[in-house]
Amino acid sequence: MELQVFFDKAIYSAEAIKKAAYRFIDKFSAVISENGTSYSCFIKFPDKSTDAQAARLVDEFKKEVLDQDLRESIKRETEGVRNLILAHTFSKAGLIKDE
Amino acid sequence: MSKFQPIEFYKNKTHSYELLPLRFEALDDQSYVVTNMAGEYLTLPRDKLSKLVKHQLTSSDPDYINLRARHFLVDDKTSIAKDLLAIKLRTKYSNLSEFTGLHIFVVSLRCEHSCPYCQVSRASDDKVAFDMSKEVADKSLDLALKAPAQNIKIEFQGGEPLLNFPLIKYIVERAESLRGTKNIGYVIATNLALINDQVLEFCKQHKIQISTSLDGPKDLHNHNRPRKGSNSYEKAIEGIASTRRYLGKYSVSALMTTTKASLGRVKEIIDEYVEREFGGIFLRPLSPYGFALKTKTYAAYDAEKWHEFFVEGLEYIIELNRRGKEFREFYAATILSKMLTSTEPGYVDLMSPAGIGIGAVVYNYDGKVFASDESRMLAEMGENKFQIGHVLKDTYEQIFLSDALLDPIEESFAYSVPMCTDCAFESYCGADPVFHYGIYKDFVGRKPDSEFCNRNMKIFKYLIKRMEEDSFVKQLFTDWAQPNA
Ligand code: SF4
Repeated sequence: MELQVFFDKAIYSAEAIKKAAYRFIDKFSAVISENGTSYSCFIKFPDKSTDAQAARLVDEFKKEVLDQDLRESIKRETEGVRNLILAHTFSKAGLIKDE
Repeated sequence: MSKFQPIEFYKNKTHSYELLPLRFEALDDQSYVVTNMAGEYLTLPRDKLSKLVKHQLTSSDPDYINLRARHFLVDDKTSIAKDLLAIKLRTKYSNLSEFTGLHIFVVSLRCEHSCPYCQVSRASDDKVAFDMSKEVADKSLDLALKAPAQNIKIEFQGGEPLLNFPLIKYIVERAESLRGTKNIGYVIATNLALINDQVLEFCKQHKIQISTSLDGPKDLHNHNRPRKGSNSYEKAIEGIASTRRYLGKYSVSALMTTTKASLGRVKEIIDEYVEREFGGIFLRPLSPYGFALKTKTYAAYDAEKWHEFFVEGLEYIIELNRRGKEFREFYAATILSKMLTSTEPGYVDLMSPAGIGIGAVVYNYDGKVFASDESRMLAEMGENKFQIGHVLKDTYEQIFLSDALLDPIEESFAYSVPMCTDCAFESYCGADPVFHYGIYKDFVGRKPDSEFCNRNMKIFKYLIKRMEEDSFVKQLFTDWAQPNA
């Protein structure tokens, strides 16, 4: 069974869609391509899947894309602090100045 | 002047907070687990999480204070959160500098049991072929004493190590004379069938602990662990009693192995441990080695079954505690101490960077050095990927700086592995490159199909859910998390 899902390029990044698709790698295969103003995601389910199973998985996949989008926002905002904390953690004296 | 700031001080009128690094995972349809860099967690409904990230959470929101207290955000009232996170994280990683605390000596591969789940032992009388020689023992001990760790543990394994008891004596006496300022603890992992007064007297003299196998009630244990006379259970029970008489009640611990025959019998298995007055049980997953590697269907089917087994067991243990019987489950306790404290319990499977070589190292009877116990099992099945050297040929530096050890540690470090890098549970989880290599032929595996990932992620979610919904469980789990309690 095959299905196509679209995501608005103005809102979602290809990275978020790819990361979400990776998490479903054991459940379906996905080919992502660019399509004008959207990303299209061509999803192929294993032969024995039912319509209901496929619909549920697509639903979960969409939620996962939203989650990945949220993760991107967090990463964008916290990358600097994260590196600083790691530097503190692994510096022997732990005396690196904040700025 | 009052010691306290007026209430207004704590009210953050604007949304001027800064997010600290955090990761999240859905717990169920409604709620999310959020963890900070030190692995502290909170649960939040999804809309709250989204508000938090979009800077729409107000300081009057009850979750706001919690998020600030647990270092998920900083505002103008807090300035030390970043330093505290670094300190907590550093404490977690500090065990890395205690490089290689556990040294496993395989003193003989011979065994008088023939357990089908054991990949390594040999039912043979050929001492020359399957016993460790003094030369190999000397060189192995020299390596063990070179490890930077101040506290080391030497564990004798087999086969059945007591079949080569003279060598155990030799190693312990030599270690005592060479140890300098190091503290060494000794453990013999034995099925107890051959334990006797002479062995116990020696154990008493050198404070040697005993670790044995107990798979459950008599019929199950004897089914899992066949030996001549079909009396493995009787021997184990007698051995536990005499060990306790000689060495004290807490000198003997037991490990169980879950087999297909164990599934569905977890309560009886636990009852056996309670009856034998053990303080807890370690419900170990079915071993992926051997059978699983040959039949690929095994993983998915049995991961599911094992989770059911584990949950049924854990619920039963919670009930026992509710009725006043103190008893714990050690796998959960290990995870809980990572979740609820800043300690790193150092359990090899749940370490990232991987615990191989760092947490434990194995000196095999024939002089080969392996990065972990699982590594030598893999080698017995023909896969030598994790042989990191040979005691008669290689120096300490050659072994511990070998690519065979460092490549898998580096490649599997969960902090940078797809999916783990974003996973809220990364700081509770492990890398386990040996498991992944054994099954998927690469150190990382694809986590969505990985039995290791599925199994652990389910347990992490389950433990958190139980703490959230039941205050008794929260208190109980908090107690279990204390490493020395
Ligand atoms: S193995 Fe799975 S549960 Fe563990 S950190 Fe990686 S993604 Fe998370």
